[in-house]
Amino acid sequence: MADQITLTGAVQTAPPEKKRRRPRGFAPAVPVLAFLLLCFALPVLALLLRSILEPHFGLQNYAALLATGTYANVLENTFLISFIVTAITALVGLPLAWFITVAPRRLGRLVFGIVILSMWTNLLARTYAWMVLLQDNGPINNFLIWAGLIQNPLPLYGSMAGVVIGMVYIMLPFMVISLRGPLASLDPSMFQAASLCGASRLQSFTRIFLPLLLPGLAAGGLIIFVMSLGYYITPSLLGGAQDMMLAELIAQQVQTLLNWGLAGAASFLLLVVTLALYAVQARYLAPHSQKRS
Amino acid sequence: MLLDFSQLGWLRVALCGVAGLAVVFLLAPLCLLIALSFDSSQWLQFPPPGWTLQWYQEVFADPNWLSSFLTSVELGIVVTLASVLLGLLAGFAIARGNFPGRETMRGFFLTPMIMPSIVLGIALYATFLRLHLAGTFLGFVLAHLVLALPFSIVAITSALEQTDKSLEDAAMLCGASLWEARIRVILPAISHGIFSAAIFSFLTSWDEVVVAIFMSSPGLQTLPVRMLGEVQQNLSPDIAVVSSLLVLGTILLMGLAALFNKDSKR
Repeated sequence: MADQITLTGAVQTAPPEKKRRRPRGFAPAVPVLAFLLLCFALPVLALLLRSILEPHFGLQNYAALLATGTYANVLENTFLISFIVTAITALVGLPLAWFITVAPRRLGRLVFGIVILSMWTNLLARTYAWMVLLQDNGPINNFLIWAGLIQNPLPLYGSMAGVVIGMVYIMLPFMVISLRGPLASLDPSMFQAASLCGASRLQSFTRIFLPLLLPGLAAGGLIIFVMSLGYYITPSLLGGAQDMMLAELIAQQVQTLLNWGLAGAASFLLLVVTLALYAVQARYLAPHSQKRS
Repeated sequence: MLLDFSQLGWLRVALCGVAGLAVVFLLAPLCLLIALSFDSSQWLQFPPPGWTLQWYQEVFADPNWLSSFLTSVELGIVVTLASVLLGLLAGFAIARGNFPGRETMRGFFLTPMIMPSIVLGIALYATFLRLHLAGTFLGFVLAHLVLALPFSIVAITSALEQTDKSLEDAAMLCGASLWEARIRVILPAISHGIFSAAIFSFLTSWDEVVVAIFMSSPGLQTLPVRMLGEVQQNLSPDIAVVSSLLVLGTILLMGLAALFNKDSKR
């Protein structure tokens, strides 16, 4: 009896002793931590501070950002374009990823290779190609006129349509990639069961296929939406002045107007939305989120 | 049923249609670039009235293209080396360390990945102006390192987490010191992680434009910054040539990667 008590006692006291082991292995992180504090965290914090310090202490930059018509337009444009781009990439990306999964293996691989090739091609090379393609006398308009579909060239270059096309081109591979995993993990027997139970193709699509792919679609869509919000090069090269997006506004404030206060405020806004949406993604949509909670 | 290509019915036609259009959409710009680079018309006529190698000769003869290419390569190499080194340090701390706040630190290390590059660009620009680092090679290295490091940390940490820690312990039981064991036993074991950390770091630096705009000076431009300058000024065929060469480089790299994958699977 006494032995058992000491035995269980010993067992109970052992784990806390193990836990009390002093922290170790932190030293190698010190240079990395120092580098990222100096070259990342502090510069970003300093920029955000300028939004409430310049030209003088107060929230005037935030008031200007939200109240001025042109700036409010930029915000509206940014969200609208990002939303349209996300919706189109989802609508095209889903069938494309589906095709890659079910097509004969070689064909599927070839198409996936083309998706990756477009993604790995230099961003400026791709945007330059679209600048040429979208011109009033460019290949697309020429083709449409030749085919008799339109009389006068469509205003693609320097318009919102141009920005959307160029950005869909850049974002589409990300959607295909984020849907590939969920598509590969679908169990074919589920669909056999559904069809044995008398479900039509449409029914198994809406009741099984889509619901199972929804997390992948949401995760890919969220990442694309967030990336689009902060996009700079493509909108500035393909869009007109009236299609300005938030990142262009930030660059313009710094490069031509030297208005660091407003640039800081716009950066803060972009950062808050970005981090909040990524937090949603990490909490609800990441593949490991169930494991963590 | 929905996953069997032969049983898709009318859906198969729709799926092939969408996929076909998407492939045309994805390939058209790349094919256009290559066609334009041989286009004899200076005004980017398509279809080209004739073919020429003139633009290739111009680009190869232009010292500015060569110097920005070399700047990009040098920068990429320095960034890659620094990124792998710091990535290893961070990886060992995250995968092998045991201290409070480790997960928070991991999160902090990865935040540059999700930072909008315009925000990082102007933040570093403001700081580097004060430190007289703007427009210098060192400033470029530091800025690109911030962007490349998270990819390196992710690749190396996951390789370390998949490697058995008892290898390290065994080497130490045999008389190796901690870092001797890590360098001589663990590094070879995670070489694939180091390799992908290096590739991702180099590509991040190589392809980066937005932060680079703010780091560059007229005398110090990476290839993408120079391309952007050219595109903004005029749509000259020179850019089609440089772009085509980059597409070709990408295809070669993908071919190499496919070969590498095949070999490692065997």
